[in-house]
Amino acid sequence: MSEAAATIPDTPLFDRAGSIRGYRINKMAMALGQPANRAAFKADEEAYLDSFGLSAHEKSAVMARDWHEMVRLGGNLFFILKISAVDPTPITRIGAAQASMEHEDFLHLRLGKKRNG
Amino acid sequence: MAKIIGGLGTSHVPSIGAALDKGLRDTPDWKPFFDGYEVGKQWMRDAKPDIAVVVFNDHGNTFFLDRVPTFAVGVAETYNPVDEGWGPRAIPAFEGAVDFSWHFVDKLVERHFDPMVCREIEVDHGLQVPMELFFGRPDAWPVKVLPIWVNTIQYPIPTPQRCWEMGKVLREAIESWPGDERVVILGTGGLSHQLQGARAGFINQTADRAWLEGIASNPEPYRAMSREDYVEQFGSEGAELIMWLVMRAAMNSDVNLIHKHYHAPASMTGAGMVVLENAA
Repeated sequence: MSEAAATIPDTPLFDRAGSIRGYRINKMAMALGQPANRAAFKADEEAYLDSFGLSAHEKSAVMARDWHEMVRLGGNLFFILKISAVDPTPITRIGAAQASMEHEDFLHLRLGKKRNG
Repeated sequence: MAKIIGGLGTSHVPSIGAALDKGLRDTPDWKPFFDGYEVGKQWMRDAKPDIAVVVFNDHGNTFFLDRVPTFAVGVAETYNPVDEGWGPRAIPAFEGAVDFSWHFVDKLVERHFDPMVCREIEVDHGLQVPMELFFGRPDAWPVKVLPIWVNTIQYPIPTPQRCWEMGKVLREAIESWPGDERVVILGTGGLSHQLQGARAGFINQTADRAWLEGIASNPEPYRAMSREDYVEQFGSEGAELIMWLVMRAAMNSDVNLIHKHYHAPASMTGAGMVVLENAA
């Protein structure tokens, strides 16, 4: 399945490799479903990330809100969306970042919205 | 025996619930979407179901990657809405159809399915949003629920064929239940969307519109499609559409397409619904 699916261009599927690679990032993000963890994240983001054992590279991707890199490191959108909820960051901005497009262009060219509409 | 009074297919995009929370229903972005559901809400008011079976996937809110059930069934007394990171939502808890849910679990295992059985669990937007779309925002939900979770997050996800087979068992469970409840089945998820990778923002309106017709009149091709086909046509997260097959397989092979609605985009998703009734 994963090998066949990998042939669909620009479409990463969250398979065994991704699940293993992204486990720490996703576990950290999942925990943001609890208010106390959101408070800890806001109070001292790096300390919060350290408490989940994130590597330096993983930490910098999260702290820079580099959504493209977080996904590449195995972050799954449904988990890392909880980071965007804390900020908050609209999901369309996360989409645009992954598509490497300006937000307005993304809304227009990918989602079919009218410009400035 | 209990009676299947209808099969509904619907999107469950979380932004739909957020739009209702923020009072955005009648804004230009959202009004056409919500207006199209009014006929579905009216159908539901007239149909007066007792039980809603809701087939959906969790989105990293209830299940983490430490344990990923391919199929899970709720047998709880109550399902509270889960905090997805934005804080608790002001919607009522969902009452479980406990006895009927256990009966469904019995039938599933008898028919060689192996579900996870959940007695204490919360529900995310996958169940919340479809209920809001068809029942509005009541003080208490007018139906009891039977939640069925399908893993569509971590591969391997179940095959479309397996979802179809589960729908057959669901029908058998409803028809062998001694009560006289009126049951509506909600298959949820989709339509086309992709949230991850450089193809993020992928929407396939042509495939979506064909789906809304085909799921009623000719679902066989969708049952036969591979998971890869779903991802290619509907996007990586659009593969959620396999969950509509549970609903569709529980219905007669001949159904009437009572209502249909499509709108794109809702957030980053092609969104819509169908209302199906068994043909006489």
